[in-house]
Amino acid sequence: MERLVECLRRHAGVTPAADALIDGTRRVSYAELYTLAASIAAGLAAAGVRPGDRVASLFPHGPEAVAAIYGTWLAGAVSVPLNPLARAHELAVAVAHAEARVLLHEPGQREVSTLANEPGLGQTRILPLDELSGLAAGTEPGLQTPAGVAADELAMLIYTSGTTGSPKGVCLTHANLAANTSAIVRYLGLTARDRVLSVLPFNYAYGNSVLHTHLAVGASIVIEKNLVFPRAVVETMQRERVTGFSGVPSTFALLLSKGKLGETRLDALRYVTQAGAAMAPGMIEKLAAALPGVEIYVMYGQTEATARLTYLPPARLHDKLGSAGIPVDGVELQVRDGQGRVLPAGEQGEVWARGPSVMRGYWRDEAATRNVLHEGWLRTGDFGQLDAEGFLFLVGRRSDIIKTGAHRVHPLEVEEAICTLPGVIEVAVAGVEDEILGQAITAFVVADPATPLTIERVKARCKELLASYKIPKHVEFRASLPRTSSGKVRRMDLSILSAEGSA
Amino acid sequence: MLDLQCIKSFVLKNFLFTDDANALSDSTSLIGEGIIDSTGILELVSYLEESFGIKVTDEEMTPANFDSIQNIAAFIGRKRPD
Repeated sequence: MERLVECLRRHAGVTPAADALIDGTRRVSYAELYTLAASIAAGLAAAGVRPGDRVASLFPHGPEAVAAIYGTWLAGAVSVPLNPLARAHELAVAVAHAEARVLLHEPGQREVSTLANEPGLGQTRILPLDELSGLAAGTEPGLQTPAGVAADELAMLIYTSGTTGSPKGVCLTHANLAANTSAIVRYLGLTARDRVLSVLPFNYAYGNSVLHTHLAVGASIVIEKNLVFPRAVVETMQRERVTGFSGVPSTFALLLSKGKLGETRLDALRYVTQAGAAMAPGMIEKLAAALPGVEIYVMYGQTEATARLTYLPPARLHDKLGSAGIPVDGVELQVRDGQGRVLPAGEQGEVWARGPSVMRGYWRDEAATRNVLHEGWLRTGDFGQLDAEGFLFLVGRRSDIIKTGAHRVHPLEVEEAICTLPGVIEVAVAGVEDEILGQAITAFVVADPATPLTIERVKARCKELLASYKIPKHVEFRASLPRTSSGKVRRMDLSILSAEGSA
Repeated sequence: MLDLQCIKSFVLKNFLFTDDANALSDSTSLIGEGIIDSTGILELVSYLEESFGIKVTDEEMTPANFDSIQNIAAFIGRKRPD
């Protein structure tokens, strides 16, 4: 099996001048990307990084974020891409947990200056990219061969919605990434002629997968930093003649309402993919109507399965509306009951998955790994049913994880931040339905009347400690919180009460 | 000038959760600094439309018009020539 980094080297050799990445007016060819990655690899080796060591990287959505991942692989090390929106404390938790040898970052990155004061980073060398390049000055990178690492060795740790107390690092091997990449390349029919517009961050499984699938075929990736100006994103799609686009439901809500997606001629556009959360059938039909002749792929997956588990073939979009589709090549799906017994078609239960893209486990967390991996099967925590033709229909999720825009947020993490404020007696955080975001983070706070507390104070504390997308959109003060008979707060009841209250 | 102060206090209160005017300079990049994101800008546009009686078109939502307090105030000034 060819590892992704070997695949990149092949393209750098065969089509060196082809555009790999397009970032505004900057164009990075395959040869340039490989050279950039090779110089990072040489710097990492000079910094003492050995095969198997973890290398964390912190870059804005752009070419350096890509080169850091591939450079780490060239050095035989394990890439830990970090969230560029995260605050110092959040970054420190992941870097310390991963026991990263090096944290490579964009020079001048805002949070890095305070990172040195965080505990647990004694073994980590924090290096800006320009300083790293200096370490290996004089070496000629060229088309060096990647360090020999077996395909079943660890390639990447993706930190996903955990909490400060228990960060969740999903362990993916080179074989996991290669298998999922080739399955996706096949059903999307990707070729070197494709040009995809990428707005999803590479440190998330979905964005990571968009990146690798297109580099694997020698295609071009047009980078847009964010969706703040939806019209500008659609104009870039038009100007760069992109053939593909990937988004989460909130992406499409914004592009349709503010980006004039349906009113813009996009002659080159061939396919659009949607994943990240269930998109309402009404929105899927709106998207299909706005983009006649474009193949629309509704997909479903998990970071724990590298990225993709199922896709709905575009030809079945309308007659299987609302379905997450059929398993991608190599993946098997089952729906099982609470005792782990396989259920027949039409019956609801938990979705289990097996295949070459299922993670090895959570980094240094055997208990959490045992909870989800059983004899080669991954328990997804998602509930649904298979129909008679094997199409998956999802109905909900077991966990309290909030899906807001492209982000996943553990409510406990936000609750922990709010609890650090004096005057907070207790707090519960839940996702409340939101037209654009899918779910909006909402904090229900029981405050001590003796201590003055305002909505702004609560949000300000969250801003201090958490990435901006984790700041509650709404804060409500309550006299008490609804509880189960065992005393647990009912987050579900809070979401419903709040939605009714604002209706 | 009055426009600029109103816009600034809205941004301070709603995105930085403070009334300390020193927390933000008039030329700070609101997007670059992560102060305003893709839904934040929608809240900002609604505020501008309601407070200044203007209509912001999708085409006008550009970095040149929205990336700093100064830029927003200048944009509002152009929209309201009186």
